[in-house]
Amino acid sequence: MKLSARIAAPAAALVLAGLTATACAPQTSDTSAEGDKKSGTLRVWLFQEVGNKPKEKVVDAAVADFEKAHEGAEVEVEYIPVDTRAQRIKAAFNDPKSAPDVIEYGNTDTAGYVKDGGLADVSKEFAAWDEAKDTDPTAKQSVTVGGQVYGAPFFVGVRALYYRTDVFEELGVEPPKSQDELISTARKIHAKKPGLYGLAVGGAYTYGAMPFIWAQGGELADETGVTYQSAINSEKARKGIEAYTSLFGDDNCPAAKCAAMGGNATVTAFASGKAAMAIGGDFSHAAVEAGAVKGKYAVVPLPGVKKGTIAPAFAGGNNIGVLKSSSHRTLAVDLMKSLTGKKTQAKMFDAMGFLPTYTDVLDTAAEKEPFVGPFVDTLGAGAKFVPASPAWGQIDASLVLPNMFQEIVSGRKDVATASDDAAKKMDAAFAEAG
Amino acid sequence: MTANTAPAKVPAVPGASGAPARPPRRRPASPARRPGWTPWLYLLPALVLLGGLLVYPIYQLGLISFLEYTQAQVSGGEPTTFQGFGNYATLFRDSQFWQVLLATVVFAAACVLATLFVGCALAVLLTRVRALPRLALMMAALGAWATPAITGSTVWVFLFDPDFGPVNKVLGLGDFSWTYGRWSAFALVLLEVLWCSFPFVMVTVYAGIRAIPTEVLEAASLDGASQWRIWRSVMAPMLRPILIVVTIQSVIWDFKVFTQIYVMTNGGGIAGQNLVLNVYAYQKAFASSQYSLGSAIGVVMLVILLAVTLVYLRLVRRQGEEL
Amino acid sequence: MSARTLLRVRRPGRLAAEAAALVIAVVVAFPLYWMVLSAFKPAGEIQSTEARPWTLAPSLDSFRRVFEQQEFGRYFLNSLIVAGTVVIVSALIAFLAATAVTRFRFRFRTTLLIMFLVAQMVPVEALTIPLFFLMRDFGQLNTLGSLILPHLAFSLPFAIWMLRGFVKAVPEALEEAAYIDGASRTRFLWQILFPLVFPGLVATSVFSFISTWNDFLFAKSFIISDTSQSTLPMALLVFFKPDENDWGGIMAASTVMTIPVLVFFVLVQRRLVSGLGGAVKD
Repeated sequence: MKLSARIAAPAAALVLAGLTATACAPQTSDTSAEGDKKSGTLRVWLFQEVGNKPKEKVVDAAVADFEKAHEGAEVEVEYIPVDTRAQRIKAAFNDPKSAPDVIEYGNTDTAGYVKDGGLADVSKEFAAWDEAKDTDPTAKQSVTVGGQVYGAPFFVGVRALYYRTDVFEELGVEPPKSQDELISTARKIHAKKPGLYGLAVGGAYTYGAMPFIWAQGGELADETGVTYQSAINSEKARKGIEAYTSLFGDDNCPAAKCAAMGGNATVTAFASGKAAMAIGGDFSHAAVEAGAVKGKYAVVPLPGVKKGTIAPAFAGGNNIGVLKSSSHRTLAVDLMKSLTGKKTQAKMFDAMGFLPTYTDVLDTAAEKEPFVGPFVDTLGAGAKFVPASPAWGQIDASLVLPNMFQEIVSGRKDVATASDDAAKKMDAAFAEAG
Repeated sequence: MTANTAPAKVPAVPGASGAPARPPRRRPASPARRPGWTPWLYLLPALVLLGGLLVYPIYQLGLISFLEYTQAQVSGGEPTTFQGFGNYATLFRDSQFWQVLLATVVFAAACVLATLFVGCALAVLLTRVRALPRLALMMAALGAWATPAITGSTVWVFLFDPDFGPVNKVLGLGDFSWTYGRWSAFALVLLEVLWCSFPFVMVTVYAGIRAIPTEVLEAASLDGASQWRIWRSVMAPMLRPILIVVTIQSVIWDFKVFTQIYVMTNGGGIAGQNLVLNVYAYQKAFASSQYSLGSAIGVVMLVILLAVTLVYLRLVRRQGEEL
Repeated sequence: MSARTLLRVRRPGRLAAEAAALVIAVVVAFPLYWMVLSAFKPAGEIQSTEARPWTLAPSLDSFRRVFEQQEFGRYFLNSLIVAGTVVIVSALIAFLAATAVTRFRFRFRTTLLIMFLVAQMVPVEALTIPLFFLMRDFGQLNTLGSLILPHLAFSLPFAIWMLRGFVKAVPEALEEAAYIDGASRTRFLWQILFPLVFPGLVATSVFSFISTWNDFLFAKSFIISDTSQSTLPMALLVFFKPDENDWGGIMAASTVMTIPVLVFFVLVQRRLVSGLGGAVKD
């Protein structure tokens, strides 16, 4: 008795304190800028890549050019681990004192950061910048929210179809030319070589699944004026979901193993020789090269529905933007231009293999390095982007789409029910984000 | 299990008196009789630190759970608004929340029982072997304890991978996927949690046994008592203060399991089948900056843990153990 | 030692127990072995269809990637500073607090004890947001202080709970004898009680050391813009990427991180066991 009475006191105190002392509300931050200084130190955050040295070299050169052109301006570059970017950048929005002036960010984060009030609107500067005219339209879409531009594309990443040349030759099959062919080829290979997945697919591999939806003419969500409405349960989208989930099964990629896989796992399966085909990005090159299939694979664009067409790929990649809280706005925008300009991007491609975001630079790159050819073709055929809504971050983080695919492939729900449920969750998120 | 023991204990006690029995208290000697301000002086540094860095944030957590508080409010874009119990209502209306809550309680209970059982059994084992095997087991256990959770989880997934892992090969399981079924996935995570948390129990309990006067154990084994009897009627009662701490800590830690589930089941398993509260809160709230909802889940977890601990402490006190 | 020798067990029983202990040790150590092994495997071999428990071409590449990182030595030093400060300061403060709650009776004693438990029950993830603002307002962001302070606060409640047993174990007769000899409270506290409880302090330090050393959450939330203040887990997180985890680097960095803890363990192992034992003697 006595004991519980003693606890009741602090517990009640805790609750009461919460209810009464609202005078002391949780803090908020003031992120507005204080002027536009024309000299001083600019701070930049870029992502730290696994082999970061070549990236640093290219950035150093761009920074040197910038410093030469802007007397009195100094640049401090810091490389932050990709895994911690969310905390770091949100923290920067909350503590302008430690915030940098210019940041690199994943393009799916754009809308969220804009909504958080973190990124500066650079539409005017972007429109007046002559190099920007050659920007790939999908890349431009990835910096645009509600018609305004919030940064400049830094590089793009797209996925295409990796396949095993030795297996294809042995079985006498050709790289698939359409979605139907892709599925039948995958099954044929698995039937002849049960030890291999025909096409490695993953229930949690959303970016691998999206092209199937888009190829059928489906959309993740439709723009309705200011906000979005989920279209994942539309007739066309369901067809794509149907096609993708049909690949999970004992005739290609057993659900017991493949339902849980993400993009990483499918590429690993391919690299280690466990799969005859996989959907991998231009950035997966190094991992595949280090694996058992080195020298025994090739890449083609992921086929679309009609023979000879290319399925629209997801246009991943990173952007560089200016923070709203920067006190050196003009300088910061110039630095952004110098980091994302054609010259830097061309060098960045040579150093890191990042695909440039300018159509002309991209073509030059493809000529130099045949490996990127299929990826450039995929981009050229029109890549697509996730809804530019702050809700997307939430939909992504709460695993709405992976859950949908997994519910279907594990037999818990059929395509119609699962997609309806996913649509409901997406709409709730869109509504909340306004 | 507590439900069974509680009523059984009641008839055992009333001999003491009609009123709720309070264990006789040994009063500390002389200076403690008039403690005055001394204990508070000793407590001062701890209280200052905890007050500032724990109590105040916990208070803020409670406060935030009653507000509309997303990243937009944090960065000052929009004003905060008072929601009352709105966040809690949202939470309790979500049918998934209740499923996750149930899974969390069952999973945590299984982890606690497994950890305590294995830890105590191995501690007894340690007392019966010579220095070399003891050192080997001790070092292995300490190594498991010292490994960062994120790495431990990753390695375990490697080991049990249907395609690349050695475990299935050795056990002849073919390409059985551990993470596909709900129960096998939970079992796998349980094994990893057990792996990294039994060392704490083992080392603590072993040290406790070492401190038991040897004559007592000697006498027991001369009487020809079985190992189980010795544990049950000699060691366990003497180890009770340690067992209490170990149990409470295990409950607190296992109820809040995060990294293992997140890493090993890829964010909560196939279609969310392996979600536990902490991961659920993370997905619902922190990953997408809905801090108020996350805070509400945090408060709910706090309340549940508090309830469990208090019930346990009361049971312990009934048995005559004082805090 | 005496406990073991006196507790003589019949021979075949002991041999079986020792065999069991060794088998269990191997099983428990196996994941660790796999971690170290993966760190030495060349890139393509870490996940290959023939999972071999050895490698024919050990490579230091993964370790090289770990050590080549910007300011790796700095991270290591920072981790040592943070963990060291937390261990020492929390041990001292917890010692005082544990003495207060075990050797004195005063109002709110039980309430305080329960509060110390409650403090451990809140999910840390949920507290990072309020703590962030607190650190910001104290101007501690981006300093090692922003790691030391919260870790101190988080390791204290547990340390106090553990230390209670040790302080309790010191016989009261000893305390009375000291006062009769004319020792002051302070003298008793530091010259008599402290040395007696020291093994217990070592034992509790292990917990605060591990939790501080392995922490990612605060390290990535509070050190925002100054890498020179980052700690070791940052050197590990670099290898986790959305699309292409570098398994070799992850394993190598983890190995590098685990070694100092193991060394710390070996150093305190004796005291740890004798120390934790003190908690039962009542």
